[in-house]
Amino acid sequence: MAEILTAAATTLADPLVWGVVVAAALYGVAIGSMPGLTATMGVALFVPVTFWLPPVPALAGIATMVACAIFAGDIPTTLLRIPGTPASAAYAAEAHELARQGQAGRALGMALVASITGGLFGAVVLMLLGSQLAGIASWFSVAEYFWLYTLGLSCAVLVAPGRVSLSLVSLLLGLLCSTVGLSAVHAEPRFTLGIPELLGGVGFIPAMVGLFGMSEVLRNALALRRRAGIAADAASGQADVGSVVNTAPPVVSVSLQQLFSRPVAWLRSAVIGVLVGVLPGAGADIASWVASAASPRGGQSDDTKMHRIADACTANSSSLAAAWIPALVFGIPGDSVTAMVIGVLAMKNLDPGPDVFQKQAALVYGLYLTFMLANLVLLPIGLIAIRAAGFVMQTPQRILLPLIVLLCVVGSFAINGSLFDVGLMLMFGLVGVACDRLSIPVGPMVLGIILGGPLEERFVQTLSGGRGSLLAFVERPVAAGLAAVVGIAWLVAIARLLRRGHTAKTPDEPGSGQEATTEANAAN
Amino acid sequence: MNTEYSQAVPATRRTSREQCLSRGAAVRGWQRLVLGVLCLFVLPGCGQQQPFPSRPITLICPWSAGGGTDRVSRQMAMQLERRFGVPVNVINATGGSGVTGFTRGARSRPDGYTLMMMTVELSMLHWRELTEITHRDFAALSLLNRDAAALFVREDAEYVSLADLETAIREAPEPLKASGTAQGGIWHAAVAGWLDSRGLPADAVTWVSLNGSGPSLQELMAGGLDIVCCAVAEADALLASKRVRCLGVMAGQRLPTAADIPTFREQGADWEMAGWRGLGVPAGVPEDRLQILTDAVEAEATSDEFREFLSLAGFDHSFQPATDFGQTLEAQDRLFERVMTSDALGGVAADAAGGMVFPTVIGSLLLLAAAVAVSTRGAAVSNEAALTMSREGVLNAAAVVLSVAAFIASVDLVGFLVAATLVLLVLLLRFGTHPLKAGLIALTAAGAVQLLFAGVLRVPLPRGLWFEG
Repeated sequence: MAEILTAAATTLADPLVWGVVVAAALYGVAIGSMPGLTATMGVALFVPVTFWLPPVPALAGIATMVACAIFAGDIPTTLLRIPGTPASAAYAAEAHELARQGQAGRALGMALVASITGGLFGAVVLMLLGSQLAGIASWFSVAEYFWLYTLGLSCAVLVAPGRVSLSLVSLLLGLLCSTVGLSAVHAEPRFTLGIPELLGGVGFIPAMVGLFGMSEVLRNALALRRRAGIAADAASGQADVGSVVNTAPPVVSVSLQQLFSRPVAWLRSAVIGVLVGVLPGAGADIASWVASAASPRGGQSDDTKMHRIADACTANSSSLAAAWIPALVFGIPGDSVTAMVIGVLAMKNLDPGPDVFQKQAALVYGLYLTFMLANLVLLPIGLIAIRAAGFVMQTPQRILLPLIVLLCVVGSFAINGSLFDVGLMLMFGLVGVACDRLSIPVGPMVLGIILGGPLEERFVQTLSGGRGSLLAFVERPVAAGLAAVVGIAWLVAIARLLRRGHTAKTPDEPGSGQEATTEANAAN
Repeated sequence: MNTEYSQAVPATRRTSREQCLSRGAAVRGWQRLVLGVLCLFVLPGCGQQQPFPSRPITLICPWSAGGGTDRVSRQMAMQLERRFGVPVNVINATGGSGVTGFTRGARSRPDGYTLMMMTVELSMLHWRELTEITHRDFAALSLLNRDAAALFVREDAEYVSLADLETAIREAPEPLKASGTAQGGIWHAAVAGWLDSRGLPADAVTWVSLNGSGPSLQELMAGGLDIVCCAVAEADALLASKRVRCLGVMAGQRLPTAADIPTFREQGADWEMAGWRGLGVPAGVPEDRLQILTDAVEAEATSDEFREFLSLAGFDHSFQPATDFGQTLEAQDRLFERVMTSDALGGVAADAAGGMVFPTVIGSLLLLAAAVAVSTRGAAVSNEAALTMSREGVLNAAAVVLSVAAFIASVDLVGFLVAATLVLLVLLLRFGTHPLKAGLIALTAAGAVQLLFAGVLRVPLPRGLWFEG
C-alpha cells in the first residue's frame, strides 16, 4: 500500500498534471456557470484532447472539470435563479432568495466550501472502499431503480416550499411532459402532434432554463418601472456590492465553521451522495434532491436555506467520485461522463475490471489523488469565479434583464443546436410565470422532466420482467426496503399535514414566503 | 427581414418613450451602429468565389455525447478539421432512436457544409413508420465501421454453446428474458432475426426494453435477464473478468479482436447481423463539392490514425468507399424490410402492450392532485393580489416574448450576431437604457457570446444565409 501511494504521488509531481488540472478547472467553471452547457458536454469536447495526454493527466482533467462545473453551476443559480447544471435545481429558489437579500456572497461561499468538503469525502471513500462499494450496484435491478427514482421524486415534492398538493401537481406535470416523444420502451410516438422535433421529446435543458431563468426575467419585467427603476437599481446595486466583494478568505472560514457546526448533517449528506453516486444511472442531481429532503424543514429562515444549500452541495459533489466506481470495477458507466472515461481508458489500453485495483494500482491511486487535487484547486478558482461574478450584482436590472434573455436563448440553443428548443424555452418561461401566480413550485417539474423517462422505463421493464404482475415491484428484498422508505416518507408527510390542519387554520401558512418575494420584487 | 426590424423598433419606442430627450439624434446613432455591423459582416461575404470549404462544417451525430457514435464522429471531425483547415463542429441532435438527427440531416441545405453520421437505425426506422427518411435522402461518403452482434449469458449459466441456448429457449417453461437495447433497436432485431431463422416462435424470448448495453449487462449480472445481445467491445471488461460468457458472434468470420469467440455460422446458424456507422451528406450536394468531401473522408478513414483510434476504442474497422457503401445501404434496406416486418419482431412489439399505460397513470394522478389542490385552496389566492399587472409591466414582458420569437424566426437568415444584437437593443431601449449605451452594450455582449460559444466552446451558432456562399 505504502509503495503504491508513493508511486501514485510521484505521478502527481508531474508539472503536466498540474497544468492540465488548472486548465480543466478554468474550463469547468466556464462550462458550469453557462446555463445550458452541462458537465457532460464539457467532457465530450475535452475527450479529443485526451488523445495526446498520458492516462493520469487525461483522467485528472476530466475529474477536475466535472467537479468545477458542478460547483460553478451554483453561481448562476444563486445570482440569476438559472441553474447552471441540473444538480443545482434543488436549491435554486433558496439560493436566489438569499442573493436578493444581499447574501449572495455567503450563499456562494457556503456552496463552495460544501462542494469542496463533499468532493474530498467522495475521494476518500473511493480510495478506501472503492472495490467493496462496487458490489452495491449488482443488487440493483430495474425494480430497485424504480423505487430509487420514486424516492428522488418524492423528495422533490416534499422539500419544495409551499403546499404539498401543489408540488405534486408540478411534479406530475413534469412527468407528463417527459412522456412526449418516442417512448424509450416501446419506441412508439406519443403526443407529438406530428412535429418531428417532438419525437425527441421535451428536452430538460430548455425546460429548466425556461422555468427558472426566463420566467424570472418575465416576472421582473412585469414589475419593472422605468422611471422609478433607475434610482432603485442604483441603490440595490450598492447594497449588494459589499456582500459579494467580501468573499475573500474570511468568508471561507466562516462558511467552514457554519458547515461543521452541523457535523451530523454534513456526514449524512456526504454519505447520501456516495450511495446515490455509486449506482449507475443515478447521479449528482438525484443526490442533491435526496440530501435536501433529508435536511430538516424548519420554516423559511435564512439559516434553514443556508443548511439546505450546504446539504445539497455536499451531496452532489460527494456523488461525483463515487460515480467512477462502477465504471472502474465493472466497466459499466454510471452516467455519460463515466461512459467517456471508459472510452478514454480503452484508448490508453487500460481495461477496467475487478482486478483494476491490483493490476493498475498506481494508476488508480494516482487517480484518487487527482480527485483530491481537483477539489483543492477548486478553492482558489471558485473564489475567483465568485468574485468575478460579483459584477452581476452591480449591474442595474434594466441592463441585466436583456443580457439574461440572451443567455437563456443561447443556453437552450447550445445543447442540441436547435431553434425548436429556444421556442420550447420561451413556452416554459410563460408556464413558469403562470406557476408563480398559482404558487406552484417549478423545481419538482424540472426533476419530473429529467427522471420521467428513466422512471417509466423502469416501471415498464419491471412489469414486463414480471410478466405483468405488480408483485415484481416488491419481490426482491432491496426493492421492498426502498418501497418501504418511500411509503414511510409519504405517510409522515401526510400525518404532518393532517396534524397541522387540525391544530390551527393558519391563514398565512402556505405561500407566505412567496408573497414576501413578490413584494420585494415589486419594490425593486 | 432586417427592414422589418428597423421599422418595428421605433414603433415600440414611440409607445413607450414619450419623454425621450434627444430622439432624432439617438435613432440615427443606434441605426448607424446597426448598419455598421451589418456592413462589417456582409462585405467579406461579397465578391470572389471562394474555394470549398471556406467556412465551418457541421457534423450531425444522431446519438448523445460520449457514446460510441459520438466518439467516432468527434475523431473524424478532428481529422477532417486538420485536413480542410476550417472548424468541423459536432452537433448531437439526439432523440427518437435517431429520428431527430436523421431528420435534421436530411432537411439541411445540401451545400456540403453539413455532414451526417449515418447509423444502422437509418435502415430500420422507416420500416417501423417512425419517419419518412431513408438512406435515399443522403449521398454516401464512406462506411467507417461495423460492429457485429454477439450473445452473452452469465458465466454461471448452464448453456455453453449456441445449441444449448436454443434448446433452453425451446424447452423453457417460461420464455427467457433478453435485452441489449430498446424495443425495436438493432440488437433486438438481431435476436428476433436469429429466432426467426431458426424457426422459433416470436414469443420464445421476452424482450425487456432497456436503454443500451451498459444497463442491460448490469441487469444480466443482477439476475434480471438471461441473455444480452450487444457488440463484443461493449462487454469487454466483463468478458475479461469472466463474469459473462459469449456464445457466439453474428459475423461472417471471427473477429480479429476476439478470435476465441466462434461465429454463429460455425455453430450451424446461418445468420449475420451488425450495427454500422458511416458518413454521408444530404442528397443534392453539387458534384464538385461531393468529390472533394468523398476524397477527404476516404483518405482520413483509411489513415493510420483513424485505424489506431478504432482498434484502441475496441471498434471494428470496416472501411468501404462511397460506391460500395451506397450498395451496402441498399442491401441493408432490403434486409431490414424482411426483419422489421417479420413476425418475430412485429409479434413481440405488439405483445409488450401499453405505451399509454404510464401516461394514463400519471394523468389520473395529476387530476387527483389538482382536485385536492383546488379543494383545499385557501390563503394562497392572496398571491395574485400582490402581483397586480401594470400596463407598462405587461408591455415589458410582451417585448421580451416577442423579441425572442423574432430571434427564432430570423436567426437562420440574418445569423446569430445580428439577431442577438437586435434582441438586446430592443429590450435595452424598452427598459430605458440610453440609446448609445444600449447599442454599445448590445454589440459587445452579442459579440462576446458569439466569440465564447463559437470560438472557445465550439458550439456552432447560426451564421445566417446572408453571409453564406
